[in-house]
Amino acid sequence: MGKSNLFINGTKGDKAIVLGNEAIARGALEAGIGYASMYPGTPASEIIAVLDKNKKNIENLYTEFSLNEHISLHGAIGASWSGIRSLCAMKNVGLNVASEPAQFLSYTGVKAGLVLAIGSDPGAPSSSNEQDDRWYSLHTYMPIMEPSNIQEAKDFTKDAFDLSEEFSFGIVLMAPSRLCHNAGALYFGDLKNRSGIKGDFKKDPENYLNLFNMAVRNHTKYLERSELLKKYLVESKFNKIINGSSSKIGFISSGVIYAHLMESLDILGVYDHKILKLGLTFPLSNELLGRFFEGLDKVVIVEEAEGFLEFQIKKIAYELGFKGEIQGKNFFKQTGELTIDDVLSGVSRFLEKPLPVFFDSAVKKDKELQDKLPQRSGTFCIGCPHRATFYSILKAVGFSNTEGKEREVVIAGDIGCYTLGLLPPYNAMDFLTCMNAGLGIGQAISIFDKNKKIIALVGDSTFYHSGIPVLLNAVQNGADILYIILDNSWTAMTGHQRTPSTQKDIDGKSSSNALNLKDLVKSLGVSYVKSLDPNSVKRFASQIKSALKEPGVKVLIAKRECILQEVRRNKILNKNITGLTETSESLYEIQKSRCVKCNECFVELACPAIILKKDAETGADYYHIDNSSCVKCGVCYEVCPNSAIRKVEFNIKKELKLETKNLN
Amino acid sequence: MKKFNTAIVGLGGQGIITMGTVMKNAALSSDLQDVSGSERRGGAQREGYVETFVKYIFYENESEMKDPRKSMHSPMIESGGADALISLEPLETLRGVRYINKNSIVIFNETPYIPITVRMGQTAYPEISFIFSELKKITNNIFSYDFDAISVENFSSLTQKNIIALGALFAKADIPIDVFVIENLLKEGKGAENNLKAFNLGLKL
Ligand code: SF4
Ligand code: SF4
Repeated sequence: MGKSNLFINGTKGDKAIVLGNEAIARGALEAGIGYASMYPGTPASEIIAVLDKNKKNIENLYTEFSLNEHISLHGAIGASWSGIRSLCAMKNVGLNVASEPAQFLSYTGVKAGLVLAIGSDPGAPSSSNEQDDRWYSLHTYMPIMEPSNIQEAKDFTKDAFDLSEEFSFGIVLMAPSRLCHNAGALYFGDLKNRSGIKGDFKKDPENYLNLFNMAVRNHTKYLERSELLKKYLVESKFNKIINGSSSKIGFISSGVIYAHLMESLDILGVYDHKILKLGLTFPLSNELLGRFFEGLDKVVIVEEAEGFLEFQIKKIAYELGFKGEIQGKNFFKQTGELTIDDVLSGVSRFLEKPLPVFFDSAVKKDKELQDKLPQRSGTFCIGCPHRATFYSILKAVGFSNTEGKEREVVIAGDIGCYTLGLLPPYNAMDFLTCMNAGLGIGQAISIFDKNKKIIALVGDSTFYHSGIPVLLNAVQNGADILYIILDNSWTAMTGHQRTPSTQKDIDGKSSSNALNLKDLVKSLGVSYVKSLDPNSVKRFASQIKSALKEPGVKVLIAKRECILQEVRRNKILNKNITGLTETSESLYEIQKSRCVKCNECFVELACPAIILKKDAETGADYYHIDNSSCVKCGVCYEVCPNSAIRKVEFNIKKELKLETKNLN
Repeated sequence: MKKFNTAIVGLGGQGIITMGTVMKNAALSSDLQDVSGSERRGGAQREGYVETFVKYIFYENESEMKDPRKSMHSPMIESGGADALISLEPLETLRGVRYINKNSIVIFNETPYIPITVRMGQTAYPEISFIFSELKKITNNIFSYDFDAISVENFSSLTQKNIIALGALFAKADIPIDVFVIENLLKEGKGAENNLKAFNLGLKL
């Protein structure tokens, strides 16, 4: 609280509770960045969002929500070459898209410091895979820093810019979701004077041109720079050896897993082993490891995923002729998030030291109980237009849970809030991988399986990210597919960043450069394109039905703004105009006497504001609209086949509001 | 070193992260206090399981605070490691059961939110009595309230239930942080008046 002010003005001596992502952003600010960009992605989004939100009060700071990660990293490189320290952030899979600029960055080197902050997502709570981006550095040669807590997130980021300039590498700062979304105490440092931040691009053909023998020469240069960095790392403050007593056992770890390890050892009451904390996990210095191995018989590497450190360290141990035993992945699992429980259990097995009783019995109790609990999955927000879109699609293709009807039509999924449509009760996706795989894979299926109709889904932000060439490709190559663009005007999933579709900002201001999506689609050669309101579910469903009968590439734009943004804006505007926050002039109600519990609204549409209640007298179940959560979208009103849902209008409130307006 | 671990669980959209943030901000007054704890947040979606951890650490002295073997804290709570578990949804209390031990305090909200599998008739929602008896097998310190109802009754909205629950936590658990520190924080923040009222409603439960 009051934290956002400290974020901009805090100086040495200040202390606050800060989110991991904000600590990274603050570190970059303390290092004097002038450029910050990202394509939004959980868990990394707040890194740039907090800078963007505050930029009006930060001198000479440029921020950008780029259309994709490839553009975003190139932008950071351009800024760096103009002498501006630059921060680029993305989620783990973003590096797949940005891998091309990342691959070239070591060849060309940087001018001003460049840091690439990556939010990884072990266990994939917000991602479609759990890849460990550290492996990229085996060929990009980008050095990797791994902070363990909030303080290090800030300090490492700040130092990363100096390191970047000294060795002319872009530095990867790895932060798993457990750090990005950890909130803890941060001691601030001082800010640099920002008045001198000004771009000045100096030509440097020696480094910036990569072709033929120039590329080979640059390749040689970066391998040499990497060797210099290794030498520096023997004594650096980033890697630490904590000496043990007489024990011949050593632990190696990094990042958040190191925090799990230290706490596990404390829980087990074990304090006598040697520990190597790696703050920089690529490249590794042979000499440093040699020092660590001294006097040890047995070393265990505690890390997440497939074992990036183990892979490197076993090679180094071989080169050094280390005779001891090296363990790792046989004690710590390769898939899913490595939790403190996993580390505690792994360490206990490795040391052959029993687990504490309180821990053991809690784990047992949990195992015994979890199978008995109904699973719970996330769903669309109340009033979300995506719910109406999925409902319409499923009606159009004849799917029904209640009547047990399956669907023939293939539905290709994609990445965004609407991805939740793959969960029950909709089950409306047949495959889901990466950004724009839906249409990409779907168009080919349409060519090879002529017996099936195919619908591919995409959100506006995902479409702008890299969907335009895929659509053009589908048109050029004669695919037969219905492409539904769910255009809700925002990159909603990651905290509502603008997209080219954003027409009205949250404060009600019209956007000066909003794109006409329908015109764009037409210009790509699609002749069948229609834009509709998904909340008119009957009309939308019948439109989908007719579109599926047409040959070629058809595009339907389901156009309706994200309900959260609409509600937020209304709140802000109403407050400003009338001082009233109440916006509802109508409410929806299920008439008990008419409702036959056909489940059309309760299961098929499944709006969470429609809840199950028990009649106090008869004990019978009935469906009820909870008015404290209903946002009055009216979709249930339209889907009820029995006219059991009615709309109740309140005119008094309206009049009241008008009166207040006049008074003002 | 003394520690106090709180696990807060519930559903997306219930204000759990705010509860954690308020609690963490209460630990800034002394250098010998430390705080850690992560959140599980997915995308913007509602109704999924969410948990947040608040871990208070009190160092005995400066040398302990500087000891690398003592001063690094995991953002997670280990199984059985929570001194208090607070849950804003009855069923989710059982998903948070892994964190409690025989001395833990458990406080849960009695208003259920029905998962989709129950809506579809595939599974049944457990009875409140089942939730109680399962918790009883572990600890005797169990308290339950209808925070939804209290919030609606006093504020005509559900939005204050998290702060009411926070009050209940401070009333029932022996948290080594003064109540007035929380009150001062709420005073400085947004919606101060309602938050203070809600917190005090909870304290009186
Ligand atoms: S009007 Fe119906 S569908 Fe819309 S939010 Fe309210 S209950 Fe849900
Ligand atoms: S759609 Fe109408 S009749 Fe069917 S369950 Fe809902 S309110 Fe009742």
